[in-house]
Amino acid sequence: MKANMKLKNRYDKIASTSVYTLGFIGVIILSMIIFYVTTTGLSLVSWDTITGDSATINTNVYLDTGAGNYMPDEILPEEIFYSETWGIGLIDTRDREGHPIIEIAYLHPESPLLTSLDKNNTDEEGNPIEIEIKLDTAIEKAIFNNFTSFAFLTDGAEVMRDQFEQATSISDLTVQIVGGGIRGSVITTFWMIGLTLILSVPVGVSTAIYFNEFAKRTRFSSIIRNLVDMLTGVPSIIYGLLGAAVFIPLLNSTIGTGGGSVLSGALTMAVILLPTIIKSTEEALKIIPDDLRKGSLALGANQTQTIFNVVLPNATPGILTGVLLGIGRIMGESAALIFAVGAVIKDSVFLTERSSTLAVHIWVIMGGEAPNFELAAAIAIIILVVVFVINFIVKIFAHQLQKNMNWS
Amino acid sequence: MSEQTLKKPVFQLNNIDLFYGDFQAIKNVNMTINYHEVTAFIGPSGCGKSTFIRILNRMNDLIPSCKVTGSILYENQDAYDKNFDVIELRSKVGMVFQKPNPFPMSIYDNIAYGPRCQGIKDKKVLDEIVENSLKKAALWDEVSDRLKKSAMGLSGGQQQRLCIARTIAMEPEVILMDEPTSALDPIATQKIEDLIVELKQDYTIVIVTHNMQQAARISDKTAFFLLGELIEMDDTNKIFNHPKNEKTEQYITGRFG
Repeated sequence: MKANMKLKNRYDKIASTSVYTLGFIGVIILSMIIFYVTTTGLSLVSWDTITGDSATINTNVYLDTGAGNYMPDEILPEEIFYSETWGIGLIDTRDREGHPIIEIAYLHPESPLLTSLDKNNTDEEGNPIEIEIKLDTAIEKAIFNNFTSFAFLTDGAEVMRDQFEQATSISDLTVQIVGGGIRGSVITTFWMIGLTLILSVPVGVSTAIYFNEFAKRTRFSSIIRNLVDMLTGVPSIIYGLLGAAVFIPLLNSTIGTGGGSVLSGALTMAVILLPTIIKSTEEALKIIPDDLRKGSLALGANQTQTIFNVVLPNATPGILTGVLLGIGRIMGESAALIFAVGAVIKDSVFLTERSSTLAVHIWVIMGGEAPNFELAAAIAIIILVVVFVINFIVKIFAHQLQKNMNWS
Repeated sequence: MSEQTLKKPVFQLNNIDLFYGDFQAIKNVNMTINYHEVTAFIGPSGCGKSTFIRILNRMNDLIPSCKVTGSILYENQDAYDKNFDVIELRSKVGMVFQKPNPFPMSIYDNIAYGPRCQGIKDKKVLDEIVENSLKKAALWDEVSDRLKKSAMGLSGGQQQRLCIARTIAMEPEVILMDEPTSALDPIATQKIEDLIVELKQDYTIVIVTHNMQQAARISDKTAFFLLGELIEMDDTNKIFNHPKNEKTEQYITGRFG
């Protein structure tokens, strides 16, 4: 008996130790992932990245006069190379895609570059148009003194500054608004969330109500229920095929979208979410005590009134949980959407055209010859933050609803 | 109320059989329930009294395998006729359940629920219904200052009286009570019993109870069920003092059940 107890104790100890160890390993692994993503991407997470254009935009300007002597108002850091002749400070840095660039880090308040002239366009009367050179834009190349001297971005900021210093006129300055922003993908993602939920929540909730409140428990209905359960586990790329094979041709023949589009992506996502929303709504309906339904029916309410006035309001927190899971799924989905939306990074989003969500954006920038870990990690952080914020809001909302309905 | 209306039957039930699938839960029961009387159903667990009370407002319809035969006349109309409006029946024959089941909404909304389902939207009318119902259910003084608060914050006894008030709001003819005090403490039970005696003035009450003292205290008529059969039904006095049937006497004196 005693030996048995000892043995039992030993087993218990082994069991509890392994639980602690494995749990610890799990926590460590998860923290490491978060740590890696944060350290890699945090420097790129900025409002500029979120709202910035993905494409780089070049502008060419010139200035025939204006060279003077512009002393800076403040003491500039050493890494800024300042040209007193033109009142411009340059710095060597890298863009969001990791390429070296020369960025304008300082502009003298009276710098002639603030009123540069557009090289490519004139107004209706043929007069030059003024363009203001802005801070944080990059200079790709600069040609001076009637094409007799020049500097390129590969020369570095110091060389370019020296060229500026000696120049009496600027013949052609190529200024870049540096791309690599993710505005288009952010917009697409929010469109995707909105459209998908509008499409899938009413259908899913209604289906769950039908199964749980109206349908008789027959063999047929239980087969359908099991099918719905099974669909929750189907890999999303299969739904992507469905989107490509059904929704894209369908939308093409009705509104002429051509290939994939945000709309076909939303339809595909709606199908992916349906089983999840049906399931979570059903669970929410199941935990509502039958006493409440009986109480309502005994008061002479009909079944529809009972469902809409008593059952559904009480199921709302559960339904919201399903919606929350759905939003997470939409933000994270990539495989299905590569087919259905196309993987094209865009700055201006149209519902009937190809685009990419944030997750697909990661796939695109990691798929090229030079994977861009920093931007991918930055997008990952943004996805995490958005999911967290939505989670938080929905939880608070559900908590408020649940406050006055704690039956037990 | 004249002696004659008192004797008028609200429910006349003849040859009632009830089956759950193959199982016969009610066997050939005949019964008359009169206006403005308290009728108590007593009997051991599983004798069919709760099933029987649910025949009266057709709550058994909700159980798919349940089948009722026989003639059930509510105010001389066949309550199980195809053309008979079950919604109308349930609004005239209210029901209070064993476990208090207020809706998870405000006290006001709980009372206004039934009238609202009937299409009453006028706030003044609803206010009046809520106030009157709560007063009749002896709950007004306790909750009048927190009508907009959740009903889930009330005590069990208050919740049960709220459920009674909710039923009263429908201005029913009959109130069915399925063991309304079995989940309550003695003080709350006392209050409900007082309320039932009070309500007798305006409503016909049918109550299922496990508590024989309760039946003796509050009811005018008592029906004793055993294994799905109605063994004996008579004035409560007679049942408790001079039961005709031997089994009734055995049950009342506590020899079984």
